[in-house]
Amino acid sequence: MNAIALLLCGLAAATAAFAADPSLVEKARAEKKAAFYANITAVEPILEAFAAATGVKAEYTRLSTSKFVSTVLTEHQARKLAADVLQAPLPILELLKEKGVLAAHRPAALKAYPAWAQRDDCIFTFGIEYVAPIYNKDLVKPADVPRRYEDLADPKWKDKIVMADPSSHATTISWLVGLKEKAFPDEEAWRRFLKGLAANRPMFVASFGPTPAPIESGEKWIAISMPKYIVTKAPAPLDWARVEQPLFGTPRAMAIAAAAPRPNAARLFAEYWLSREAMTILAEKVGEYVLHPGIFPPIAGIQTARVEAIRELPDEEIRRWGAEFKKLFNTP
Amino acid sequence: MRGPVRSPAHADGSRALTGGLVVLVGFLTVCPVLLLLLGSLSEGLGAFGRLTLSKYREAYGDPGFGVILYNTFVFTVGSAAVCTALALFLAYLNTRTNIPGKFLFRFLSLVPMMVPHILFCVSWVLLLNPSNGLLNLLLREVLGLASSPVNIYTLPGMILVEALLDLPIAYLVLAPALSAFDATLEESSRVCGASTRRTLLRVTLPVLRPAILSAFILVIVRSLASFAVPSVIGIPGRIYVLASHIYRLIATGFSPDYGQAAAVGTSALAASIVLVVLYRRLTASAERFVTVSSRGFRPAILELQGAKLPLSLAVGLLSFVLIALPVLVLGYVSLLPYSMVPGAKAFALMSLKNWRQVLADPISILALRNSLLLGVGGAAMGMILSFFVSWVIVRVRSTASGLLESLSFLSFSFPGIVIGVGFLWFFVFTPLYGTLWALLFGYIAAYLPYGIRPLTSALVQIHGHLEESSRVCGAGRLTTLRRIVLPLLVPGVVSGWILMATMFVRELSLSVVLSRPGTEVLAVQILRFSEDGLWGRLAALGIVMILISTSLVVIAGLVGRQRMRAYGLEGA
Repeated sequence: MNAIALLLCGLAAATAAFAADPSLVEKARAEKKAAFYANITAVEPILEAFAAATGVKAEYTRLSTSKFVSTVLTEHQARKLAADVLQAPLPILELLKEKGVLAAHRPAALKAYPAWAQRDDCIFTFGIEYVAPIYNKDLVKPADVPRRYEDLADPKWKDKIVMADPSSHATTISWLVGLKEKAFPDEEAWRRFLKGLAANRPMFVASFGPTPAPIESGEKWIAISMPKYIVTKAPAPLDWARVEQPLFGTPRAMAIAAAAPRPNAARLFAEYWLSREAMTILAEKVGEYVLHPGIFPPIAGIQTARVEAIRELPDEEIRRWGAEFKKLFNTP
Repeated sequence: MRGPVRSPAHADGSRALTGGLVVLVGFLTVCPVLLLLLGSLSEGLGAFGRLTLSKYREAYGDPGFGVILYNTFVFTVGSAAVCTALALFLAYLNTRTNIPGKFLFRFLSLVPMMVPHILFCVSWVLLLNPSNGLLNLLLREVLGLASSPVNIYTLPGMILVEALLDLPIAYLVLAPALSAFDATLEESSRVCGASTRRTLLRVTLPVLRPAILSAFILVIVRSLASFAVPSVIGIPGRIYVLASHIYRLIATGFSPDYGQAAAVGTSALAASIVLVVLYRRLTASAERFVTVSSRGFRPAILELQGAKLPLSLAVGLLSFVLIALPVLVLGYVSLLPYSMVPGAKAFALMSLKNWRQVLADPISILALRNSLLLGVGGAAMGMILSFFVSWVIVRVRSTASGLLESLSFLSFSFPGIVIGVGFLWFFVFTPLYGTLWALLFGYIAAYLPYGIRPLTSALVQIHGHLEESSRVCGAGRLTTLRRIVLPLLVPGVVSGWILMATMFVRELSLSVVLSRPGTEVLAVQILRFSEDGLWGRLAALGIVMILISTSLVVIAGLVGRQRMRAYGLEGA
């Protein structure tokens, strides 16, 4: 109860603190709304807070990763792109930039972020889609919780793991390759880990979304998934394995559309999204790992975790690795 | 050409109607498919690029493709066989016998079409997963087994769930045909000394051949396009079929090439076209299947006598285990904060929180209103179009009518995850983009066979002489249609409307790409909850969807019964 009260007080204080250039707010109000195309989920509380703080409505169109590029490019080519602001994994926005969909813009709020958050003249990042082993704390004894990624290859996890299909799920493919480049001493050790993981016959699902359900219900014990589910699925008995190596993930990026129908509302929305207030909501309510210094999701132990962005793999490389993982995990 | 289309004036009228329908249906269904085919032959990610065959070479050069085709064949034919047999059994008992509790059994046969497919699959996983599936735990306890006896993550598991999901389609195609069955044919067989079994095999089933084939083909085509079962049950079991293979192609990478996915999808399209042609061949001499003619038509009810109780119990048990139980699981999940096995902890944590959140969510309420509008209005418009198309298919058996039949299957046959993008590429060039109208026309175009199949299977049994006699007696076309044809087609119209309306209420493939703020629909909202892993809210909204669809089914059934009574055809 106290925690909820504290959170509400924090949110209220944060909302009151947002201040933007009054002339920008005025122009944005004249445009009435900002259209937001995004693949990030459960962000409605930020949109409501934006409307309350600025008087401008945020209209959210949710596009899954697999439909993002085709929808945005189709609308762009037909000159019907309704989006003012776009949010997607970094590689998607880089591709859209190549096609001329994005506008050059550097939000003032980025000053508070690490320098690498502004990727180029168009794209800025605000968070990392962080991945970690999550487990059912009612079923897994504390002594058995993995301490390193290599522990997932232990035969005691046979038929107890669930993960997104490593032959197709782009983020999982990137994460596995990221482990090779950042967490393992050499490729041989990494391949040993992969063989052990494959020998444990993990159950595959289409994406990260369906990974927590089998853990909650006890069908499986441990998942390669995202710690944010500990927040969004509370009070499910989920916890994350505090591995000694860093946690890795792909950067979450954002940009303004070059042909934004409401350019001022777009700029105001970007400023608000990057503000301490919005990032607090994103971390507290959605469990996201954000780049704004000093803000963490309410997950025990996450403040001391090292969370690193992995290299963005081009599609060609993702497909090549996908084909290799298909063989390695013995998938038809 | 047969039946009443004989005079030059009528022939001209029929030709004009056929031509008009070919243009209309063609425009609605060919454009998205054509754009997808263009995409499959174009370089780059869109529909218009330099021509190339590389996407076909890559798609079909995959060494694992043979296994995928084999799995797809077993999955679709297996689902169609189980589904058609089960639907025939239930439809026969419900329409031709005096089995008690008909309304309930009929309703239960239709339930799977009202449940979001992804939820139905999740329910079956909760019941039959090998780790802690509820039915498996029960069987282990009762039979004293060390391991779970059933594994849902197998091809038979996929076939069972897909067959149940498609059961309403087969049931609604078969039931009108059984209703229009003239019992004097069977009586004549028995009078000639044939046994009940022989009569069933030599008279009943052959006469029902068009309807059985119709149902079988429709289920094959539907299961080819199905994604829920391959995704929720197939992928965890590492059993890939065409739909999940296409998903894999789309999902591997951040810029999915729908052209390559379309190249794979053309296999499903080709298979569907072959099936439609085969169906027309097998039912070419339509007169053989006529049972309602000007000589008199009397549907009759078979007395089950001693078999009444055992059959009732068997159907009751079947309906409970296969259909009611998964829905009860949904009710259970909707009361929980997260998925868990029943027990003291689960019961202690139960609340109505998920329900309150769903019913207070403005987007869910808007989605509900839009879906209801699309379900009721869209199905009505769809049935009007379906009636004319069916009439042309059955009464004007020409090359053009054959083309019309194939066209009606075009977008229906394409795997759902691809056809949505075809409609996106099409509608974005029209002023309808981003409006409810785009969803409405898209739904009608994609699901036209749901209206057409029940109507054609009923229409094929009505002899053209009835219409001819009416016109000889001086009635015009419209009067003949209103007084003779439509009354006999009431069961088919009701079936088709129910199929379309409930499909439109839970439609996802097109909605997920065409729905925009303000045009949200139930299935898209359900997908959002699913992607967020909010199973409790998902189940609650799913139950709301079931209640809406149930109301539509009950209303349609009552209206149909009232019309049948008004036409003096009650019991048919």
